[in-house]
Amino acid sequence: MVGSTETIVGVFAHVDTTVRALEELKAKGYHDLTVYTPVPVHEIEDVVERDRPVSRVRLFTLLGGLTGAFSGFMLTIWSAMQWNLVTGGKPIASIPPFVVIAFELTILFGGIATLIGMVVLGRLPKLRPSPAFDPRFTRDRFGVAVHCVPGRGGSVREILGAAGAEEVKTV
Amino acid sequence: MNRRDFFKIVTATGAAAATAGCQGASEQILPLVVPNEQLVPGVASWFATVCRECPAGCGVLARNRDGRVVKLEGNPDHPVGQGALCVRGQAALQGLYHPDRFPGPLVREGAGLKPATWENAQKILVDRLGALRGGGRGRAVALVTQLENGSLGALADTWARALGTRARVTLEPFGYEAIRAANRITFGRAAVPHYAFEEARVVLSFGADFVETWLSPVAYTRAFARMHTFRDGRAGTFIHVEPRQSLTAANADEWIRNAPGTEGLVALAILKLMLEDGLVDRRFADAVVGIDVKKVAAGSGVDEATLRHVAKAFGHARPGLAIGGGVAVSGSNATRTQVAINLLNAAAGNVGRTIRFGPDAAWGKVTPYAEVADLVEAMARGEIEVLLLGQGVNPVHALPAGLKFAAAVRKVGLVVSFATQPDETTALAHVVLPDTHWLEAWGDFSPREGVTGLLQPTMAPVRDARQTGDVLLGVGRAVLGSEEGKGPLPWASFEQYLKAAWEPAVRGEWAGALRQGGVWREVAPVAVQAKAGPVEAGAAALEGDASGFALLPYPSLRFYDGRGASHAWLQESPDTMTQAVWDAWVEVPAEAATRLGVATGDVLRVTSPHGAIELPAYVSATLHPTAVAIPLGHRYAPYHVPRYVAAAPTAMTPAALLGPARDAASGGAAWLGVRVTLAKTGARRPLAILQATHDQDHRELAQHVDLRAAREQALRGRAAPHEPISMYADHVYPGYHWGLAIDVDACVGCQACVVACQAENNVPVAGKASAAYGRQLHWIRIERWAEGPAAQPTNTFLPMLCQHCEVAPCEPVCPVFAAYRTEEGLNGQVYNRCVGTRYCGNNCPYHVRRFNWFQYEFPAPLEVQLNPDVTVRQLGIMEKCTMCIQRIIAGKDHARDEKRTVRDGDILTACQQTCPTQAITFGDLKGEKNAVSALRHSPRAYTVLEELGTRPGVTYLKKVVREHA
Amino acid sequence: MRPPTFADVNRDVLRTLEPPGNRYFAWMCVVALILSAGILFWAGQVWWGIGMAGKRVPQMWALYITTFVFWIGIGHAGTLISAVLYLFRARWRTSIYRAAEAMTIFAVMTAGLFPLIHAGRMWFAYFLLPYPNQRYLWPNFRSPLVWDVFAISTYFSISTVFFIVGLVPDVAALRDASTGWRRRIYAMLALGWEGSDTQWRHYRRAYGLFAALATPLVLSVHSVVSWDFAMALVPGWHSTLFAPFFVDGAIFSGFAMVAVLVLPMRHFFGLHAYIQDRHLDAISKLILVTGLVLTYFYVCEIFTSLYSGDHIEKASLFWKVTKTYAWALWLMYFCNCVAPLVFFVRKARTNPVVIYVVSILVLIGMWFERFNIIVPSLGHGFYPYAWGIFVPSATDTGILIGSFAWFFLLFLGFIKVMPSLSIVEVKETLPPPMRDKGHGGQH
Repeated sequence: MVGSTETIVGVFAHVDTTVRALEELKAKGYHDLTVYTPVPVHEIEDVVERDRPVSRVRLFTLLGGLTGAFSGFMLTIWSAMQWNLVTGGKPIASIPPFVVIAFELTILFGGIATLIGMVVLGRLPKLRPSPAFDPRFTRDRFGVAVHCVPGRGGSVREILGAAGAEEVKTV
Repeated sequence: MNRRDFFKIVTATGAAAATAGCQGASEQILPLVVPNEQLVPGVASWFATVCRECPAGCGVLARNRDGRVVKLEGNPDHPVGQGALCVRGQAALQGLYHPDRFPGPLVREGAGLKPATWENAQKILVDRLGALRGGGRGRAVALVTQLENGSLGALADTWARALGTRARVTLEPFGYEAIRAANRITFGRAAVPHYAFEEARVVLSFGADFVETWLSPVAYTRAFARMHTFRDGRAGTFIHVEPRQSLTAANADEWIRNAPGTEGLVALAILKLMLEDGLVDRRFADAVVGIDVKKVAAGSGVDEATLRHVAKAFGHARPGLAIGGGVAVSGSNATRTQVAINLLNAAAGNVGRTIRFGPDAAWGKVTPYAEVADLVEAMARGEIEVLLLGQGVNPVHALPAGLKFAAAVRKVGLVVSFATQPDETTALAHVVLPDTHWLEAWGDFSPREGVTGLLQPTMAPVRDARQTGDVLLGVGRAVLGSEEGKGPLPWASFEQYLKAAWEPAVRGEWAGALRQGGVWREVAPVAVQAKAGPVEAGAAALEGDASGFALLPYPSLRFYDGRGASHAWLQESPDTMTQAVWDAWVEVPAEAATRLGVATGDVLRVTSPHGAIELPAYVSATLHPTAVAIPLGHRYAPYHVPRYVAAAPTAMTPAALLGPARDAASGGAAWLGVRVTLAKTGARRPLAILQATHDQDHRELAQHVDLRAAREQALRGRAAPHEPISMYADHVYPGYHWGLAIDVDACVGCQACVVACQAENNVPVAGKASAAYGRQLHWIRIERWAEGPAAQPTNTFLPMLCQHCEVAPCEPVCPVFAAYRTEEGLNGQVYNRCVGTRYCGNNCPYHVRRFNWFQYEFPAPLEVQLNPDVTVRQLGIMEKCTMCIQRIIAGKDHARDEKRTVRDGDILTACQQTCPTQAITFGDLKGEKNAVSALRHSPRAYTVLEELGTRPGVTYLKKVVREHA
Repeated sequence: MRPPTFADVNRDVLRTLEPPGNRYFAWMCVVALILSAGILFWAGQVWWGIGMAGKRVPQMWALYITTFVFWIGIGHAGTLISAVLYLFRARWRTSIYRAAEAMTIFAVMTAGLFPLIHAGRMWFAYFLLPYPNQRYLWPNFRSPLVWDVFAISTYFSISTVFFIVGLVPDVAALRDASTGWRRRIYAMLALGWEGSDTQWRHYRRAYGLFAALATPLVLSVHSVVSWDFAMALVPGWHSTLFAPFFVDGAIFSGFAMVAVLVLPMRHFFGLHAYIQDRHLDAISKLILVTGLVLTYFYVCEIFTSLYSGDHIEKASLFWKVTKTYAWALWLMYFCNCVAPLVFFVRKARTNPVVIYVVSILVLIGMWFERFNIIVPSLGHGFYPYAWGIFVPSATDTGILIGSFAWFFLLFLGFIKVMPSLSIVEVKETLPPPMRDKGHGGQH
C-alpha cells in the first residue's frame, strides 16, 4: 500500500481523547484505522469493534476439541484391538477407562488449535514492526493510525490534533 | 516326570556312565571332545542316582542339559522317597556347583593350604603310610567315613585290612543307638526296624521329628501323609509328645508339651493306663509296677486327663504306632525311654504290623559313639599318626564339644581330608584330596535291607576331584608296592570294583540296574518276641547349673548336622516355625524372656559347663518354660560372608555347648545333656523373619474344617458352588485352563517346594538383610498360621504362590501389558516388557509378586546350574510364579508328539513333583475327570480372599482338625 | 496512596529484572549444590538398581510417588488462578497469576521427573508412550498410569501455552524498554506484538477460550492422579472419594506455595503497591476454605471406612491412626486442619509472617497427606504375611530434597528474566488515564 496511501499516526496520552478522535474519524468516514493500546480498554474497544464480526478463534477451538475426542477413542479402541490382550477380565474395548484418554486429548487438541487460531488470525509472528508502531504504545500511550489516500492527510491531522493528540506524525 | 521320559532318560544312562565317569582334571564343565549321542543339545537326559545329603538314601533323578546337571528330582521307582525329595535333596546342586569347592588337591604350607598335584599330595600320604606300615604301626592309621554301607565302605574295609590299619569308623552324629540298644533289650535284635506309618490308625510320637530329620524323613513323611491326610472320610490321628513345638509337633493333631527328658515316664504312664482300661496285653503289667500316674503327671507336666485320653486313643487304635527319637529322647535315659516305647508297641500288638524287623535301616551300621570316643582319646594320646576323613564328615563342627575332637586332631601327625569344600575340619587338615561330589561319583548305598541304590556320575566333575575309592586304591597299591591286577587291591578303578561287586547281584543286568537306580526286593518281616521286663525310666540327668535351662539342640530340617549349611538356598529357605532365614537363634520360652527382659533379636550369651555361644533370641510362647532350644548345624560357607550375611562372632551350633555325656545303656551321645544359663549381652542382631505375623486377623487365609463336618460333607458331596456375579462375560479358554489344587491338610511345611522352585526357575538368593526387608525372591512360600492359645496353637501351613486369578488385580494396572491373561488361564508376565512401575506388586492382594531390586548374581560356578528353559531376570523388573510354564510347554509338545491332548501326570510343576505329601496337584481344570477339577469341586475346596472376587486358579483344600485337637 | 500510573507499572516491573546482587547468586549456588547432590543419588540408583531406595514388599511405592503427587498438587494453583478466577473475573488475581503460572509449570516439570525416577527400568519408560512399533504393542489404556501420562502431559502443554500467550504483550513491553542483545531476544519472543486492535481482539478471545479449556483440565488432572490409588483395591486407596479429595488438597497446597513464593517477591522487589493486603487476604481466605473442605474429606474418609463395616478397611484405619506411622497422620491433621484456622482472624489474614508460617505448615501437611495415603496403607493391606514398615534410605531422601532444589532453581531463574508480574493485566486493573476526570474512569 505504500505510495498508494499515506499513514498518519496520532499519539494520545488519555483514553477519552483517543475515543474522541476515533469517533470523529469514523464520523468523517475514515474506516481504515489501526489502534495501538498498551492494554485492552473497553471504551476504545466499544468504538473499534462496533462494526466488526466476533473473532473466529472459537471455530478453531471447536474443531480441535472434536478432533481430540475422536482420535482419543480411535487410538484406545483400535490399539487395544491390535493384540486383544485381556487384563483383569475386562473387555478388550473397555470404554470407561478410554473416556479419560479421550477427554485429555479433547483439551489438548482444543488448546493447540486455539493457539494456532490466535497466531494465524492475529497475523503473528510479525517479522518487522509496522511503520505506524511506536514503542510508547506498549507503555502508556495510545496510538491511532489512519490509512488514507494521499492528499487527505491534512484533515486527518486536524481531527487528531483537535481530539487532543500529543503528537501527530506521518509515516 | 512321566514314564515315557523316564525311559528316554534311561536308555541314555548306560553310555552316559561310560563317558561322564571319566576321571582327570576338568576345569570346564563339558569336557567331551567328541560329543556323544546322549548329549543332544537342548534335550535333557536324566540319570538315576542316590541322594547322599543324609543317610536316608532317597532315589534321585538328575536332569542333565548339555552336560550340566540343572535339576534334581526324586526317583519315582525308588522305594525310598518314591519320587519325592526333601529340601536338602533339592539343594544338593549347590554342593555340586559350590563356589568354595576345592579346585584340586591341597597341601598345608604353614597357615594355609596350597594347591598341589595329585601325585605330590598322594605321595605325602603314601610315604607316611609306608613308613608306619614298615614300622608295623598300622594301628596308628585311622579312617573315618560317613555312613558308607555299600561298595565304598567295603573297599575301605578291605584297604584297612590290607594296610593293617584300625577298623574304619563310620561317623554319623545322629546314630540312633538308643533305638538299636532298646530293640536289643526288648526284641533281642539290635536294629532299626522299618516303620509302616501308612498302616497305623494312630501315631504316637515321643519327640521323633520324622518330618524333619528322623531316620528317613521323606519316606516317613510320605507314609505319614498317606495315613493322616483326610481322604474320602478317613483320616488317622497323630499325637506328639515333645517339650518344644517342632515342625513335626506342629503337624500333630495333638501336641503334648512335657518336661524335657520325661518321655519315658509318660510312655509308661500311658501303658499303665491302657492296662488299667484293659485295652492291651496283660503280660506287660509288671513293666509298669513302679509307675504312679499322678507322680508322672506332676513330673512331666502332662496332666492325667491328657494321659488318659491318649491311652484310650492309642489303645483303641488297631494298629497304632509309637515311635521315639529326636533330641528330647537322646538323654542319659534314652535307651530306657525307647524300651518303654517298645513296650507300648508290643503291648498294643503293633510289632510286626506297623513295626517290621527284617527290612532294617542302614543306621544299624553306624559305628557306636563309644568307639568314636575311643578313637578321639587315642588321637588325644598321640597314638594316631594318620587320620583320613571321608567326604561328609565334619566332626569338629558336628560332634559335641565335650568330645574335644578339635584338640585331639591337632595331635595327629597327618590329617588327610577327602572333603569337597572347606569346613571347620579341613581347616585342621594337612592334605586335602577332594572327593567327587556324589552327583559326579560311582557308588551304591543301601538305606535299608532289600533296597540298594546305585550312584553313577550324572556329569563330569566340576572341579579337579578324584573319587575317594580311586585314591584309596592308588595309595593302597603304592604302599603295598603291588601293581594293578595283583595283590589285595587289584582293581583298576573304584568303578571296576563296584561293577565286580555288583555282578552277582545284577548278573549282567548292570545297565538295567543303573536305569532303575538300583535293585530292590521285598524283605520278609522277621517275627520277634518282646521281653516284658520292668523298666525304671527316670528323667534324663542334666549337667550344669540347676537353675539353668535344659538345652534342646535339635537337628535342623535344613542343615541336618551342618552338611546343608553351606548351601545358600537352604540358608534362605525359612525355618517354617520361626520363618527365620540365614541367622541362627536361641529359642527362649516366653516366661523366661519376660523375666530376663529379652525381646526377639536381643543377643544372648548361652553358657554351659563346656562352652558359651552368642545368639539372637527368638521368644517362643510354645517352648517348655524349663528349656531353651537351638538348631544344630548352623554355619556359613566362606562365600556367604559378607555377600549374603555378616560373619557370626561366635560359633552358632549348640554342639559347642555339649559335654561328653552319654546314654548309659547304649553309649550313644547324649544330645540332651546340659543345662545352660542365659545372659543379655546388650547387643542386638535382628533376625530375618519373613512372616510379619502368624495371626490371620480373621481373614480366613488358611481355613480348616472339623473332622466330623468334613466327613458329613464328604458323604453329602458339595452343594453347587456359588457363581461369582460379574458385569462382564465369563473368560473363555479355547484350549486348556491350567489350575492348581493345594491340600492344606496334607502340607507339613517342609519347604521342599520352595527350594525345588528356586532350582527350577533360576530364583536368585537375596541375603539376610534383603530378606529381612521383604525383598526375598521366592516364588512360593510356606506360611505358618497359628490359632488358639499362644502356648498350644493349632498351626496351619499354607503354601502361597501366584494365584493366577481370572480377574487379576495385577493386570489392568500395568501400563505396558507386561502382566496379562494368557489363553490357558495363567497370569503372564512379560519380562522384556516390564518397566518396573511395581503397580502390580501393590495391587496384588496376596503379595506374591517379586521385584528385582538389584542385579542379582550367581557366583561362579553356580550360574552353570541355571535352568536353560527359564529366563534369568534383569534388575528392575517384576517376576512371579509361572506355574512352571516351561514344563507346561514341554508337556504339550510331548503330548502333540503322541497326537493326543495333555493328560493328568504329563505335567508336574516343580513344587508338586518334589512334595513328599503330594499336597499339590496341577492339571487342566476343563477336564472334569482330572484330579485337579475333582479337588476344585471337593467339599473342602476354597480360594484365598474369595470375597475380593479375584477368582484364583489356585484352589485350596481346608485343613481337617480333629475333635480333640 | 495514589494508584500507580501505566508508566509506573512498566518501571516497577522492569525494576525486578535489573541485574541481581550477590545475595541472589549465593542462593542460586546453594540451590545448585543441593540439586547436584540429588542428581548423584539418582545416578547411583539407576546404576545399582531401585533397591537403593528404601522400597520393599509391601511398600513397592513410597517417597517418589508421594513427592510426585505433592508437586502435581502444587502445580494446580497456577492454572486455577489464571483460568478459573479469570472466568469468575476475580480481579485480585492479576498481580499474582504470573508467578503462580510459572510455579505451576515448574512444579509440573518437577513432578514429571518422579515417574522416571520411580521406574525400575527408567530407560524403558518410553514404553508408556503410544508410538507405533514393530511389535504393534501399544500402552494399556486401562492402566491409570497411562492416564497419568496423558493427563499430565496435556496439563503441562496447556499451562505452558497459557503462560506464553499471557507473556507475549509483556515481552513486547520489555522489548521496547530494553536495548542490545536483550532487545533482540525479547523481540523474538514477542512475536512482533504491537498491541494493535486486531491483535488484541483475537488475543482476548483466545485467552478466554484457554481459560475455558483449562478449567475442566485442572479438575481432571488431579482426579486422574487420585485414580492411581482409587482404581487399586488396596485398603485405604479403593475409594470414590479420592477425586474431589485430591483436587481440593491440590488447590490447598497450591495456594500455600503461591504465598510462599509471592511474599518474598513482594518484600524484596517492593511490590507492595501491586500485591496489596487485599491480595493476601484473598489468598488466606482461599487457604482457609480449602482447608475446611479438606477437613470435611478427612472426616468422610474415616466415617466411610468405619461405616463400611469391612474388617480389613477398619484394621487398616486403626493401624494408621495408632501404630508405627501414627505420628505422620496426626502431624498431617494438625497442619491441614488446625493451622489454617488462624485465618478466621482478620489480622492474621493480612500478616505476611503468619501467612508464611501457616503456608509452610500446610505444605508439610500436604506432603504427609500423600505419604499417609501411600506408605501406611500399603504397609497394612489384605495379607498379614506381608505387613511391613518402610524405612527411607539416603537415596530417596536425597532425591526428594533435590527436587525442591530443582524447583527453586527454575523459579529463581525465572523471576530475573521474565516479568513476574503481568504488566498488561495490572494496568487493566488501574483506572485508565483520562483527561477530564468526569468521564469514564473505574468500571
